[in-house]
Amino acid sequence: MPLLGLKEITKDYMLGKTVVHALRGLDLRIDEGETVAIMGPSGSGKSTLMHILGVLDIPSKGSAFFAGKDLKQLAEHQLVSLRGKKIGFVFQTFNLIPTLSAQQNVELPMIFQGTRKTVRTKRARDLLSMVGLADRVRHKPNELSGGERQRVAVARALANDPAIILADEPTGNLDTESGKPILDMLKRLSRDGGKTVIIVTHDPDAAAIADRIVRLRDGRVVQEA
Amino acid sequence: MIKDFFLLAAQSIIHRKLRSWLTVIGVFIGVTAVVALISIGLGLDRTIKDQVAKIFGVDTFMLLHEGAFGPQSHPGGDMDEYTLDLDYLRSIDGVRIAAAVREQTGFVQGPPGVDGQSIQGFLPVMGLSPELTTEFKSFLGSLEVQPGGRLFEESGEPVAVLGEAVAERLQASVGSTILVGGDTDLEQSLTVVGILSPAEDGGSAEDSTFSAGVGPSPDTIYVPFEIMDSLWGKDENVLVTLVRTEPGEDVEKVADRVETAVRARGAEVSAVTYNDISDAIGTMTSTVSAFLAGIAGISLLVGGVGVMNTMFTSVLERTKEIGVMKAVGAKNSHVLLIFLTESGLMGLVGGIVGTLLGLGLSAVASMFIGRFFNVDLVVVASPTLIIITLLGSFLIGAIAGLWPARRASKLSVVDALRYE
Repeated sequence: MPLLGLKEITKDYMLGKTVVHALRGLDLRIDEGETVAIMGPSGSGKSTLMHILGVLDIPSKGSAFFAGKDLKQLAEHQLVSLRGKKIGFVFQTFNLIPTLSAQQNVELPMIFQGTRKTVRTKRARDLLSMVGLADRVRHKPNELSGGERQRVAVARALANDPAIILADEPTGNLDTESGKPILDMLKRLSRDGGKTVIIVTHDPDAAAIADRIVRLRDGRVVQEA
Repeated sequence: MIKDFFLLAAQSIIHRKLRSWLTVIGVFIGVTAVVALISIGLGLDRTIKDQVAKIFGVDTFMLLHEGAFGPQSHPGGDMDEYTLDLDYLRSIDGVRIAAAVREQTGFVQGPPGVDGQSIQGFLPVMGLSPELTTEFKSFLGSLEVQPGGRLFEESGEPVAVLGEAVAERLQASVGSTILVGGDTDLEQSLTVVGILSPAEDGGSAEDSTFSAGVGPSPDTIYVPFEIMDSLWGKDENVLVTLVRTEPGEDVEKVADRVETAVRARGAEVSAVTYNDISDAIGTMTSTVSAFLAGIAGISLLVGGVGVMNTMFTSVLERTKEIGVMKAVGAKNSHVLLIFLTESGLMGLVGGIVGTLLGLGLSAVASMFIGRFFNVDLVVVASPTLIIITLLGSFLIGAIAGLWPARRASKLSVVDALRYE
């Protein structure tokens, strides 16, 4: 059984007064433990697809399954819970909370799950050491370099030990040198950590770590390899 | 989790130092005004009540003419007089001491001067039960005689104490005899036993406040109460009667009993107890301070609007942050709580600063008011007021934040994440 299954997905949204047909009948299946790169030109529907894969948004038509469950059957709070526990996000612009230290940023997803303080602190520190930032736990995001920030973001994505890591252009704002450790980390998470890693990217280096590349054009999958 | 949200909110407030402080200033100005005004009001209330209790005593009540006390009374006007059988009053159950004050204008003739002529004229004559000078000392204020003289001790003594102006005018001194004429052909010679010391300037002003116009006056002749009987008839023209109850008696009950009993005999009086007075004062001071605090409350409202404005700005500027929080698993209720905590916290900080400043301001203001009116104004830091203020300012902040926080919590994740 696939971990994620999308069938005949269409997604339309309003941009001002015009309807944007972002996805137009998309089928996709992602199995557990896979590393998948989703590529495509701007406007091909990559971001919309990522939102649907990340349970941030629901399709206009078609069905989306997560571990066999039809997302349409789930109530809002179940979707929130699914997102919080099963999916970890890594964003292009890092999206760390600027007022919080690295450690607090990593703790945040655990706070929303009601994890105890002691457990939370230890896990946040462990995760930060794992991404090589043991000596940066008290730093605020603006005191960290881009590469370091993205490593904090990876640690945050792992906080609730999710099944899926969803990375949207994880190296988009980084130079090759600082982007490489991020990609290595994602690869390791898939290979050694058993995580399903989905990378939405333009970057061929990023796509290179994937087991499979899915190419999008005009809201449809044009090629899987 | 709430603790974590407090921490998150506090960090966010500290992060936006300038804006947070400006918002907090908006709140604490209002809180300061409200706390200061209410505290001054409470202090005033306490001060006046303390004074009343000191002068009057809680086991004592007054008999005044009906309508002389209460909302219908006209302060500053002459006191109405009434007829009262003092002996009957003393016989009523629960009454320990009763003392009355009555006043008349009498034709007074001073002692013969060196040329054998004496000075004469119409002067106010005030009859005092001797208990007034022994049992109810503070009621009359500082009724003190000059060295060599004394106050009267027995009700029937044919003696008089003169105000110092009267003494000078009649050219009388201790030991001289004056002649006082009452109704038609009644008259009585009285020996002057004392002359009042001139009142110290201002010193006794507050003491005489509650002596209902019977305080020491330099223009009055004071005689024992029963001497008045022999000049003007028995128990007429009473201005005020003070009654002290037996120990252990309920003042209110005795007052009711006395009022009913003497009214049945035709005296148009009402009994005024310490509670009546302090209630009246309480009503007055609390009305005034509620009115003032209400006006100050408007600035608190403005502060609340300031918090709301800041929170809207904050929600707008943190739209992306809200999206991120939701993406990493925050429920709508979490986002709502985080923003409510933040606005409530700003309200609370405003409340704490405002309470401290307000109490300080009321202490300083009390000092100035006290100095101006020559009274020791009690400074009251009411714990109830402090707790209500702190809770209230947290609530004002939270309520002001409700709308912005709801807006934040309802943001769609995708739109929020896309927001630049």
